[in-house]
Amino acid sequence: MQDQTKTGGQAGRGGASHPAVESAPTAFVSLDEIAPSPKLDLERIRQRLEGTRGREFWRSLEEVADTPEFRRYIEREFPHAAPRDMQPLSRRNFLQLMGATLALAGISGCAYQPPEKIVPYIEQPESVVPGKPNYYATAFDRGGYAIGILGETHVGRPTKLEGNPAHPASLGATDIFTQASLLMLYDPERSRSARYLGSDQTWEQFQAAILEPIRAARARRGAGVWLLMSPSTSPTLGAQLQRFRQRFPGARVLVHDAVSRENVYAGTRMAFGQELQPVYDFAQAQRILSLDADFLTNEVANVRYAHDFMRGRRVRDGQTEMNRLYMVEGTMSLTGANADHRLGVAPSQVEAVARAIAAALGVGGANPGVLPDGVAQEWITAVANDLREHGGRSLVLAGPEQSAAVHALAHAINGAVGAVGRTVTYVEPVELRFGDSNNSLRQLTDAISANQVDALIIVGANPAYTAPADVPFAEALKSLSSGAGKVTVHMGLYEDETAALCQWHLPQSHYLEAWSDARAFDGTASIVQPLIQPLYATHSVHELVATLLEDDILTGLEIVRDYWRRRSPGTNFDDLWYQALTRGIVPNTKAPARTVSAGALALPASEAQPPTAQAAEIAFRPDPTIWDGQWANSGWLQELPKHISTLTWDNAVMMSPEMAQQLGLTKEDMVDLRLGDRTLQAAVWTVPGHPKNSVTLTLGYGRERAGRLGNGFGFNAYRLRGTDALWNASGLQIVKTGRRYPLAGTQHHFTLAAERGLIKYGTLSQLLEDPKHPPFLHQEHHGAPEDAAQDTGNDPHVGTERPGPGPEHPDVPNTLYPQMWPSDRQNPQDAGPGTYTAQGYNSQPIPAWGMVIDLNACIGCHACTIACQAENNIATVGKDQVLMNREMHWIRIDQYHTGTVEDPERVFEPVPCMHCEKAPCEPVCPVEATSHSAEGINEMTYNRCIGTRYCSNNCPYKVRRFNFLQFSDQHTPSIQLMRNPDVTTRSRGVMEKCTYCIQRINLARIEAEKEERRIEDGDVITACAQVCPTEAIIFGNINDDYSNQGRGSRVRQLKAGPFNYGLLTELNTMPRTTYLAKLRNPNPVIEPAAAHGAGGHGAAGHDAGGHGTESQGAAGAHGAAGNEEGH
Amino acid sequence: MAQLFHPSTNVLAKLSIVGVAAVVPLLGVAVYFFNMNYGAEVRVPKEQPVEFSHRHHVGDDGIDCRYCHTSVDKSNNAGMPSTYTCMTCHSQLWSDSPELEPVRESFRTGTPIQWDRVHDLPDFAYFNHSIHVKKGVGCVSCHGRVDEMPLIWKEKDLTMKWCLDCHRKPEDFVRPRERVFDIAWTPEEDQKKMGERLVKEYHVLNSFQLTNCSTCHH
Repeated sequence: MQDQTKTGGQAGRGGASHPAVESAPTAFVSLDEIAPSPKLDLERIRQRLEGTRGREFWRSLEEVADTPEFRRYIEREFPHAAPRDMQPLSRRNFLQLMGATLALAGISGCAYQPPEKIVPYIEQPESVVPGKPNYYATAFDRGGYAIGILGETHVGRPTKLEGNPAHPASLGATDIFTQASLLMLYDPERSRSARYLGSDQTWEQFQAAILEPIRAARARRGAGVWLLMSPSTSPTLGAQLQRFRQRFPGARVLVHDAVSRENVYAGTRMAFGQELQPVYDFAQAQRILSLDADFLTNEVANVRYAHDFMRGRRVRDGQTEMNRLYMVEGTMSLTGANADHRLGVAPSQVEAVARAIAAALGVGGANPGVLPDGVAQEWITAVANDLREHGGRSLVLAGPEQSAAVHALAHAINGAVGAVGRTVTYVEPVELRFGDSNNSLRQLTDAISANQVDALIIVGANPAYTAPADVPFAEALKSLSSGAGKVTVHMGLYEDETAALCQWHLPQSHYLEAWSDARAFDGTASIVQPLIQPLYATHSVHELVATLLEDDILTGLEIVRDYWRRRSPGTNFDDLWYQALTRGIVPNTKAPARTVSAGALALPASEAQPPTAQAAEIAFRPDPTIWDGQWANSGWLQELPKHISTLTWDNAVMMSPEMAQQLGLTKEDMVDLRLGDRTLQAAVWTVPGHPKNSVTLTLGYGRERAGRLGNGFGFNAYRLRGTDALWNASGLQIVKTGRRYPLAGTQHHFTLAAERGLIKYGTLSQLLEDPKHPPFLHQEHHGAPEDAAQDTGNDPHVGTERPGPGPEHPDVPNTLYPQMWPSDRQNPQDAGPGTYTAQGYNSQPIPAWGMVIDLNACIGCHACTIACQAENNIATVGKDQVLMNREMHWIRIDQYHTGTVEDPERVFEPVPCMHCEKAPCEPVCPVEATSHSAEGINEMTYNRCIGTRYCSNNCPYKVRRFNFLQFSDQHTPSIQLMRNPDVTTRSRGVMEKCTYCIQRINLARIEAEKEERRIEDGDVITACAQVCPTEAIIFGNINDDYSNQGRGSRVRQLKAGPFNYGLLTELNTMPRTTYLAKLRNPNPVIEPAAAHGAGGHGAAGHDAGGHGTESQGAAGAHGAAGNEEGH
Repeated sequence: MAQLFHPSTNVLAKLSIVGVAAVVPLLGVAVYFFNMNYGAEVRVPKEQPVEFSHRHHVGDDGIDCRYCHTSVDKSNNAGMPSTYTCMTCHSQLWSDSPELEPVRESFRTGTPIQWDRVHDLPDFAYFNHSIHVKKGVGCVSCHGRVDEMPLIWKEKDLTMKWCLDCHRKPEDFVRPRERVFDIAWTPEEDQKKMGERLVKEYHVLNSFQLTNCSTCHH
């Protein structure tokens, strides 16, 4: 081990700062002070929304209602301050504090650097150069399905995971779980040692102990041996389990997955008579109908699907085609928020809509019944016609939460319109299939009570927690573990609820520590190669099964190699192996498409009754961030605002505001949920657009043995979930308890104090009217549209919207102030006195770094937020700090609504630092800790910062984050290994914010200078841009007119394009981060263009948000300052 | 009410007037000392687990810097020689010298030698060796005449002011690339004239870019 590289500055705990210890919901937090939940007067809100003209955007219903309480909250001078900090200070206390402050300042000024050691290698590996990262291709599996990644390692420590561009499920991007899997590797609470009845054991002791029961079982041909696995696609494991079943024919192998895909297989069984895995080609799809399939976040290839889906919506470079997404859903999902037309119905009613659409398309056997309330036949006809017209370029898909019948209908519609073989193909199931996984726990529990189980081995799963409420699995497991002559073994990353009930617990290796393999959604196999030796005495599932088989080959590498060697006879195996490892995919492993023939559709009769407020429906869904609970101990994921609800650290009963009003509930009210004889207490969160008479509760919370970060938060949905209704249950009663529970939603955090121009949004038909000057981009700020049109010349700086160029000097900004930064100037000759012509191998002028965020591509998945957290060593703060607006994310996703309360459209807007050319934060810093670089970056120098927070007061975009406490962990050793060594970790009292990944820019500049060349477009990719599945974030040098065969950098081209606009440009901040307007493609039959009014945002007369309309700039500036802490 | 202060406190009060007069210059002296890289341990040789002599290896034997510091022109980190690097020679030469026992022990047992860091920047300052080498900053400019140091010491104080001296006026320090590792080299011509030429030739960034905070702090 070489330790001479810097291991990350003043060490901190970016990830699991284990704040939960302090952050359990505590009494001092007065709800009204932290997050007001005034009773919403929906009538008043509706009136306000109707009273506005044009397209209005609002952050939340509270904002529209504009109650005095909400005003007070929003305009509070110190939204970041703890209530206890707001107490008046007595003179005595003041003197004490000041004295202590002086003394501490004096002491801290005399610190010496602690002595450091340099520890060189004994024998330095040839490939390792200290200070230079190495990249290895491997694969992360989520629910078994692989996503190819390139792992960055610094002298042997994985520090960042990026997507593998060669992998079909990644194409270079990743998702939140892949990013967070890095933190899981270093989680200090991972299980470290084998345990037997609570005492530490070694792996060898386990191997010896298991030998006797295994041999006994073999003598009786395996009867009584049960193996319960988590879902997997590993070909090696498949081969091992096949041998296991040969050797133990009487043994049972089962799969348990709380978020199973059984309905997908049941659907293809119903439609085609066999189990198949549908593979969708969104790139080819022009019209998409999703039947409750949240394919942008929850499907097995969500990253790839999101990429392809958004590629079909990119209307640049003169392209006029744009796909259209219809979403019929039983909850409020991210995919629904991105749909052109969304139909929210109770989950059980999705089938009725599917039947109606199928019938309209002439699918035999669809038997349409009565349409759910509020669904018009015209809508159905319009959708059906649109799908029919696009024939083979249509695509219909159903979500795993919907019944087999809905899946069968989707397959039938695809067949009817001719999509099969074009936008949808079918392959053999990629998962290892061992019967109905939804029923496995029931079988196992029954077998335990019938005394048919002698040895139970559970791998990866946590059924004691995730079992449905009607299956008493935990009790059965407990009794089995205490039975004489029985053996129970649990292998997993954590000593969780199941481990506590088993005799043996074996720590499982993290995927970055062990050899394995996995297949992607289309069958492509990847070798999972470790990036680091196991941190603890852990082993892989392959090694466990090899032990059970008493194999000679017992190490993971040899087991995996052996499988692939056998599978590829006659080839030069070493070449193949090397190729598979370097490319990240095994060549020629993509599953061949199967031709399918659909029989006549024989659907079971639908009995679903429409729900009422008294007998509501409940949808159980995987949690957006912690999934089924397996990510509960990840600080990054817990603190990541969940899609749509923006909640952190908790789940909640999500319902529509109307339903809440009907039941007399407001946000954060505790309710009793009664479903048959099962009850659960949970807090309420209102979500505009949620289907009525139906609630959604996500899985994964209320854990007891997840670890310090996962325990005790949220509400355990499994206590309500029954085997017969895993996804949707009806007959739910909701009873108010009168108690309250604080929920840390981030929707109001960092609210921009302008009501206009934050979102520009139009429809495809509006764009096609005038593609060069889309009308929705030029409705405001500058008055007459013809003025605005002048702005858009070919100046790539147009996004910075220099205020009103005078007519006689179109290029000279209308400002009294000198042009400060050399990179401002397009023409180096303009550089003026004290000139800064760039040297180095970069062309003149000096690079001007800039970013474009394409709102039309952003799906709001938050992958950028968590990738930034991983790259920049950003700390988590814990729930009580989030309640005080203190989360540290450098890039946040603002969520705006427009339209009606019942079914608003949503627009997601990622907001990092704008890197203003005239940054308001810079002149107010008394110590020049924040300053401007020659390349236009608003730099933050931590070691200079004294924590006055003036900069964050003065930032109109609210992107600065302050370390109110020592949020970074400086002590936990495993967390120190995870740090990006190129980024300083921040300590208490220091301001931080987005740096445009300055460490990556510096590295690219140094490498270019060393190679005596210019920095080319693509040399610098920020972490947020790299992770983005939809390429919504584009970063580069605005002054680069040489890259891409002379067309200039992508960011330069986009900034010169017609969609570009900046936020709050009326403040003359000249932001370097600009946005591209969002487009929708509504069906003109459903939504006639006339009804759409002016696109753009904020026609005159708007005062719904309660801010002045006359003098926009002044109001914005004032409001901005007033909203930050202190001035 | 009793008297709060005893009469003797008058003396103390008078003395304190003198005291203030004495303390002010003392403070001045203290500030002066702090400004002189006090505590920076400049030119203080550091004890090391092996008494490795740069004077011997560089000065007497003429071994190139890059023989041991292999990544100095590739990476931010100059690199420290692995035990194997030492043993390439010392398995033959001085193979039973007691002073080399820690090296042999490391080789035998597989436990690395733990050297005490001499040039230690604060953790919030980032320095990249390779770009300095590329742009013609000689080793000697920062590390001094290591060929004359029996035990290595810090020649320069590595303060920010010292870094900026060169980042503001690189022409005062750059040298021909082929002389970067030549410790004893002195310019044959005027440094200023040569420096200005080399800064152009090597495309050294201008001082505005070189003195951005983020050049070193990120």
